[in-house]
Amino acid sequence: MSPDLDRNDSAPPVRGGSAGVTDDIDARDAGGVLGTLRRLGDLGVVVTAHGRAVAPPVHVPRPDSSWLRLREDLLDRGVTVAYATWTEWFPAVLTTPRLRPLLGRDWNRYTATRDPAVRCRFAASRLLIKYTAAAALGIGPEDIDIAYRLGGRPYLRGLDQIEVALTHTGELMAVGISRVGRIGLDAECADRRFDLDLMRGRMCTPSEAAELSVLARDEQAACLLRLWTLKEAYTKALGQGMRLAFTEFGFGLGEGGLRTPGGAAATGEEWAFATHPVLGRYLVSTACHDAGLDPDGDTSVGTMLDRRLLTAMTPPGEQGPGGDQGPPGERGPVADF
Amino acid sequence: MNDSLTAGAGTSLTEGPPAGPRALRVPGDGPARARYVEDLLGDPFDAGNPHGQQALLAADERREVPSATEELLHRFGLAAEFVPRDLGGRLTGVEGLAQVLRPVFRRDVALGFGAGMTALFAASVVWTAGDERQRRDTALRLLGGGRFTILHREFAHANAILRGEYTARGVPGGGYVVDGRKEVVINADRADVFVSYVRTAPGDGPDSHSVFLLDTGRLPARAVRRLPRARTHGMRGAHYAGLELTHCPVPADALVGRQGEGVSLALRTFQVSRALVSGGALVGGMDSALRYAVRAAGESRRGLVLHGRRGRVLAGVFADLLACDSLAVAGLRLLDLAPEHALVPSAAVKYAVSALLHEDLDELAAVLGARGYDRGPTYGGFQKLVRDLPVAGLGHAGTADTQAVLVPHLRTLAHTARSGEPGHEAPAALFTPGAEEAALDFRRLDAEPRDPHNGCDGLLAALLGAAARLDGERGRGPRWAALADLARVFATEVRHLGERCAALLGRPDTGGLAPAAYVLVDRYCLLIAAASCLAVRENADPAAGDGGLLAEPDWALLALTRFGRRLGLEVPDLPDGVARDLAARLVDRYRDGRSFDLYGMRLT
Repeated sequence: MSPDLDRNDSAPPVRGGSAGVTDDIDARDAGGVLGTLRRLGDLGVVVTAHGRAVAPPVHVPRPDSSWLRLREDLLDRGVTVAYATWTEWFPAVLTTPRLRPLLGRDWNRYTATRDPAVRCRFAASRLLIKYTAAAALGIGPEDIDIAYRLGGRPYLRGLDQIEVALTHTGELMAVGISRVGRIGLDAECADRRFDLDLMRGRMCTPSEAAELSVLARDEQAACLLRLWTLKEAYTKALGQGMRLAFTEFGFGLGEGGLRTPGGAAATGEEWAFATHPVLGRYLVSTACHDAGLDPDGDTSVGTMLDRRLLTAMTPPGEQGPGGDQGPPGERGPVADF
Repeated sequence: MNDSLTAGAGTSLTEGPPAGPRALRVPGDGPARARYVEDLLGDPFDAGNPHGQQALLAADERREVPSATEELLHRFGLAAEFVPRDLGGRLTGVEGLAQVLRPVFRRDVALGFGAGMTALFAASVVWTAGDERQRRDTALRLLGGGRFTILHREFAHANAILRGEYTARGVPGGGYVVDGRKEVVINADRADVFVSYVRTAPGDGPDSHSVFLLDTGRLPARAVRRLPRARTHGMRGAHYAGLELTHCPVPADALVGRQGEGVSLALRTFQVSRALVSGGALVGGMDSALRYAVRAAGESRRGLVLHGRRGRVLAGVFADLLACDSLAVAGLRLLDLAPEHALVPSAAVKYAVSALLHEDLDELAAVLGARGYDRGPTYGGFQKLVRDLPVAGLGHAGTADTQAVLVPHLRTLAHTARSGEPGHEAPAALFTPGAEEAALDFRRLDAEPRDPHNGCDGLLAALLGAAARLDGERGRGPRWAALADLARVFATEVRHLGERCAALLGRPDTGGLAPAAYVLVDRYCLLIAAASCLAVRENADPAAGDGGLLAEPDWALLALTRFGRRLGLEVPDLPDGVARDLAARLVDRYRDGRSFDLYGMRLT
């Protein structure tokens, strides 16, 4: 039921299978790729329409780590990204006495998965989403119901003050939260091997191909990998994955931003994109939509229902819903491991 | 029928603004006036049409109101659509009103709000609780071309549009002094009258706010400051601006209803607003979005042969649109027929329609591909809808507003589950679009749910009834059997929802306060969308115009399958050919130039 969430994010095309690739490998050194992108000015923050920027992803190695930074980024910038390796969260999967309520509807899928590593990684990624969302909403992680749109994009049923995104590749898993609009994430290993010409042909628009052609070959490879993550992040934010063909839209390599295949600006100020290096060996790209409504900074569940409407709707003597959630921030996720 | 409108369009429309109510007293029902507006606005894709997409997109790009089209609507007397017939306007039922507004929303969502519906959102308070003088004056102002807008109070989790509010102090000898500021109010820079929710008591109580009719012509200029336009991502052409009031004296007779009645009036009048946003703006906008996608498919190599994934997506969105319209029309007809029962359903309509259609917009973007980013007149309207529709729904703040009404309704669902009785089914009259027009009586709108302890949910009961009756249709073929199976899955889910509500509200600790309440509300709204879909299908005329499309099982089968997947239910695969056949019906409507909603109206 959740293809986008659980496919191990589509890999760039590799010619002739995985073995015996030699000359076609253009990106093999993670440090080199990240260094190239840094030199080209392609890493780091991009300022959004409201003058906010997508902050660098925050490392959250355990459920009982501090969530303060994420809360601050969400408040200040509207968007935050948490990441960890699944092995860091593995002890939590093993030791929590509440795994079943924490997994909720995903419990059946967890128990039906035979491969122990796949099963644990699945559980770890669910815990990361739930704890990250719980930190944003001021409720317990077991209160979060992850549901899926028809295209597979995850969302939190009944709680639309935040949108969520998930990506994982190799050891890495990352969760994005936005309170201003839709969000999509994609991660790739910086030393991912792929066929440069094949990839350029399959995913680049004419204007992207033209921009790439003036670069050195190692620069092209680094830029292509980044483009791949941007395109994945954007289509995942739309909930469409690869159903929206990657040659139907593009990015400006230099100035950034969404472009038509011909290179014209495709949308207004509503989308922002960023690529960040993580753990010295991964690229994480974020696509953030801003619906432009300038929503409230408070995303907590306890304060979302209007007190006056509720009082008016509730007969005397009955307690209104939402009453004892406590003020925002006081009911953060409980560290239970 | 058209010639019954203002004695011939050709003459009245060139004579400037209507003189008064008498000139606007025109016969013609909602559907006739909808066709009239459709013809008036003309072919959207005719490059020479001053009200076509080219002109509307250019105005949006310049962040300006499309003034020629606004003027045209003014000359048509759009304001009269918002004034009850007994006060000299044309307003009877809101189902008919939504039909009249759809041609506008199909072309430009921002225009539908800015030049149109906002006036009713404001005036509805006067129709609901105003005294005779206020009703008469408001009618005259609107019919005479006066512009009305609304100043909301600040809500929980407010966004820019709902942020900020005003406070009134009583002064000796009567009257009030009002202070406050809001930054993002539609038409604040050009409105003549502000229907204002103003704080008149401290605290969070239900009697903290009151409604005032602030006529800028009666207020001292020094006290009223219009603030500059706010820059919005969506509805760029609409005039969102701010208004600051400083020590502004307001006469006692500006109060609408009683002091402290504001929250109650919001609960009553927002029912109309929510139903019209859903049944006017959202359904109208999505109709156009789907049309762009069908057109794009037609221009692709394979043309309008909708097999495969594209066909499934387009048929799926068509099914969603018909199901959303079933729900929206049921909400509108409920307001017209029995407004005292509309509080909870109108909130659920807004919640469900808004969530479903936003998701569909993304599916259509994948079908449109690069054309979805085109800024030209052929496809530029799609990207405009992508920008405008989220503003129409008001995002999370709009959701939270409906949740405040829906969460308490879980008590009723729990009660029904405990009693073991399915309750009375909502009457078939709700599910027959266009049948016997009734006039909405605003005064009958209720701010409290009817009988929450002993009441039932007529829409959910209708789902149970429809599911039971479908069992008898199994012999008609595999698609009927599949629909009966699916309806049974939904009927089980209705009972399951009731049990979960009972369990939640029976919990000693937090009960109905728990975050799980929002999950149940979300599921409830999907279920009543399914209920409306089944009931509209059941009551549809098999002999109707387009081959009895609505009476056939296909669209309901596809819509319920999609709802089921959204609910995480185990739903069987669709029988072969259902999506393909529905896609073919969609293409028929596209080629015949008919709207994609329940009415299948002829387009210009």
